[in-house]
Amino acid sequence: MNSSEDETSDSLLSEKIKRALMEGAVAALVTLVEGKANVGAKILCEETGALSGSFGDEKLDEAVTNRAQKFLLARVDAATYKVEEFAPQLDVWSGARVLFERLEPEPRIVVCGAGHVGASLARLAHAVGYRVTLIDDRGDFVRHELFPEDIELIAATNWSEALRANLGTGRGVAVAVVTRGHNEDEECMKAVLAVNPDYVGMIGSKRRTNIVLERLREEGFDENVLREVRAPVGLDIGAVTPEEVALAILAEIVALRRNGSGAPLSAWRRA
Amino acid sequence: MGTISASEVYCLIGEAHERGERVVVATVAHTRGSTPQRRGAKMLFFESGATAGTVGGGCIEAEVWAEAREALRTGESRLHKFSLTAEAASEEGMVCGGVMEIFIDAWQPHNAALI
Repeated sequence: MNSSEDETSDSLLSEKIKRALMEGAVAALVTLVEGKANVGAKILCEETGALSGSFGDEKLDEAVTNRAQKFLLARVDAATYKVEEFAPQLDVWSGARVLFERLEPEPRIVVCGAGHVGASLARLAHAVGYRVTLIDDRGDFVRHELFPEDIELIAATNWSEALRANLGTGRGVAVAVVTRGHNEDEECMKAVLAVNPDYVGMIGSKRRTNIVLERLREEGFDENVLREVRAPVGLDIGAVTPEEVALAILAEIVALRRNGSGAPLSAWRRA
Repeated sequence: MGTISASEVYCLIGEAHERGERVVVATVAHTRGSTPQRRGAKMLFFESGATAGTVGGGCIEAEVWAEAREALRTGESRLHKFSLTAEAASEEGMVCGGVMEIFIDAWQPHNAALI
């Protein structure tokens, strides 16, 4: 199992996983965690259908890879199944258990504007485990001594260029536009909507954000894209301070990613 | 000690393997009831004694630690069940009262066959 030529060696597998994550791929890592033989064997199933590794039984490998595609659709982080739950015909594997884990790039938040709300949002999102990029055109507001070291800080000379360089494909990316002014917000929105990330939020009152959205409409941005913009940004938690506003924005971003309703969990008691 | 991202996990495994060292990866495979960590949470154990990530604090971590040291020594992978029953939890001062199954898995470097 452990010879250096073995394509399923742990080292090669971890390299493959590392590469898949860097490329932004989504995959399931499947591990045999309980059984009479081959405990610890792994199969990496990429969303594209590419496979590495084996449990040492072609029929089981096939059943596992089919189950892995279903698992990826369910959007859960990890789940353990008995083999008989998904492949009852393989009775030699009866009692064996298999762990499915979802591998995907870390979720990212790009914050445009490092004022009170933007700086709070960057720190809060970092604490919650997001990879954070904070952009401002005022270099003084994105000084390294102000933030935890793994927040990526960008002093932009041009908002559009900075955004184009940092949004990638927009998949797995949430963008909060919270700059110091509506002209800057509008400039950012144009660059952001061109990429159409998973989440776009813009700060401001209903009236002010409507003015910006109306201008974008006039510029020819797609109505369906504009309708998805979260403006005013955030969930209604009655936020007043900049830190509370940041919390309301992050709550909305988490709710979208995890498919939450944003309603109190206790609401059923009063229904 | 906080949680670690997937990319950090596989970078750290790669680095240890480059040093020719085995890594033990503890993963929360299954949970029942109230537990201190989500399914899929990971903690890494290195030959140097260093760790990264967490599978939940308190007494569970001490037990996981002991099993992980053993796996570092033997290179064997196994699923372990840890009960956080209400009585045990209150004795240990823990707030959770569920069951956690943790897979403790030895990831071998290329030259493991020679060790």
